[in-house]
Amino acid sequence: MSSTEQGTSSAAPAEPTTAPESAAAPEVPESFYYVHGKDKVVHKVSAGALQHSALIHGMISNLGYTEEQAKANPFPFENIDGDILQMVVDWCNQHKGKPTPPEDTNLPKQKEKLFDLVLAVNYLEIKELLTYCCKQVAMMVKGKSPEEIREIWMIPTDAEDEAAEKEAKKRAGKEAAGETAAAAGDAK
Amino acid sequence: MSSDIQKSIKTTEKLANDSIYDTNWCDMPSEIKAKCIGKMEFKERLSLRSTAKAERSLVDSQKIKFQKGVLMGELDNGDFEVSLDSENGNTVSFKTMKDRLELMKYIWKVGVFEELNVSISPLFGEEEAPAMKEKFIGNTSEISAKNVGFGHCDTDIILYILRNTKNGVESIEMNAFGNPHPFDDILAIPQVQNTKYWHIEYHNQTDALHKVAQVWIDNNSSIGSTFQLSIDTNVSFDDFKGHFTERIITTSTKRARISTNNPDHHILLERGWNPYGVYFRPQFFRLTVISADMKESDYDDNCKEWIRKLDPYFFNNWENNVDDDPVPVDDQEDFWEHLPVDDSDDSDDSDDDQMLNL
Repeated sequence: MSSTEQGTSSAAPAEPTTAPESAAAPEVPESFYYVHGKDKVVHKVSAGALQHSALIHGMISNLGYTEEQAKANPFPFENIDGDILQMVVDWCNQHKGKPTPPEDTNLPKQKEKLFDLVLAVNYLEIKELLTYCCKQVAMMVKGKSPEEIREIWMIPTDAEDEAAEKEAKKRAGKEAAGETAAAAGDAK
Repeated sequence: MSSDIQKSIKTTEKLANDSIYDTNWCDMPSEIKAKCIGKMEFKERLSLRSTAKAERSLVDSQKIKFQKGVLMGELDNGDFEVSLDSENGNTVSFKTMKDRLELMKYIWKVGVFEELNVSISPLFGEEEAPAMKEKFIGNTSEISAKNVGFGHCDTDIILYILRNTKNGVESIEMNAFGNPHPFDDILAIPQVQNTKYWHIEYHNQTDALHKVAQVWIDNNSSIGSTFQLSIDTNVSFDDFKGHFTERIITTSTKRARISTNNPDHHILLERGWNPYGVYFRPQFFRLTVISADMKESDYDDNCKEWIRKLDPYFFNNWENNVDDDPVPVDDQEDFWEHLPVDDSDDSDDSDDDQMLNL
């Protein structure tokens, strides 16, 4: 695993410049966890930011990791592209401990990235971000005709679907026949 | 703690072994596609469901909320308009849809209406009309609507919509002007019996009041249940009182209060004031389930407010016509005093004055 701790600065919570003078109780130090995506780049994220993800929150809630243990055991999400995970981490940091706004205009507009983000966010169970993403996906086809939607989202026509299904069946049949013949050959 | 760590690592290993994402809409899991469809406006959903069978079936599985839905027109040639207001205030109208009935089938299936107004005119025996009506009605599955209103509407359609509307309808408004409604059939519908508010404008059957009161007694309807009626004929309380002789608690020229089987509930019938004079029609009535603890001093004397809900244009017309002064108080009092049905004491002497000073 790469030990590059990219995103550490953006992931770290904003440190107060001066300690409050009249602080009655000592502040509990914030705990951090580490995650990496397909690109193995490790992101340091505070437990507070990770609370947005029900999946990760559930995983870490009873761990009680020390800083060293957390660093040594980053959570590998190798099914998520590095840049997508970076977006997710950034969003969690930006919205740490804050009420989420009704709209989020900083989401990617490119189809591929947005779909990847939707899938990652759904996987990580980040409810609010998923809502924004789904809204963004819906916006992609606003005012579009069926033909335009088919083109934008590469939706095959029913005829194309049927042809593909027929082809798949044919292939499966051939494979099954091949396996039977091979099994018969083995038996001989 | 070490076992926790092991467990966590196992979980993350499992995550790591999951398939790599694809970025095509068609490869998205159905539940995510459904969430995205849930964020789409009605027009985009219509477009998406026209792309392919699989998309249609997915789009059809997602409900859509409408602030208001208006269906109006005539069924004799299938020429009716559909107008839908989405939650964010956008309106979409269909006036020249080729397959309106097919569209309606979809709307009934997925629409969740805050307000649904239907004014499909009665049929006049045109050749195609019965078939169109059958198709229109046949396409109605389970309707979700909180507030349902009917304008000048074919009574078969009224019955069918009410019977097919999910329970939980909060208000039902009807207009029977020139279009007598099958009252008993309507009252037999559970959604009507259970609604919190129901009114009929220009319903000319005087027995409606005691019939509704009887249903409320039988159903032990909740406090606040309200039925309002405007009627284009002179009506006394006699008919109502005659049906509930044993239950009468108090009566006056303007109100009759009866007990129910529930000792905590009473039913109050009120007559509204008509500024043109009490002989002027229509006459207005309100029936309400009230708490048995309600005092007469707590009665609502502002009948103008509830009449306005029943007939919004009635007072507007009067207020906009400065030449139409209300009938003098004396004449009105004379009427109240000489109503043949009012032989009981009116416990609230100020009632008439209060009502005339609306």
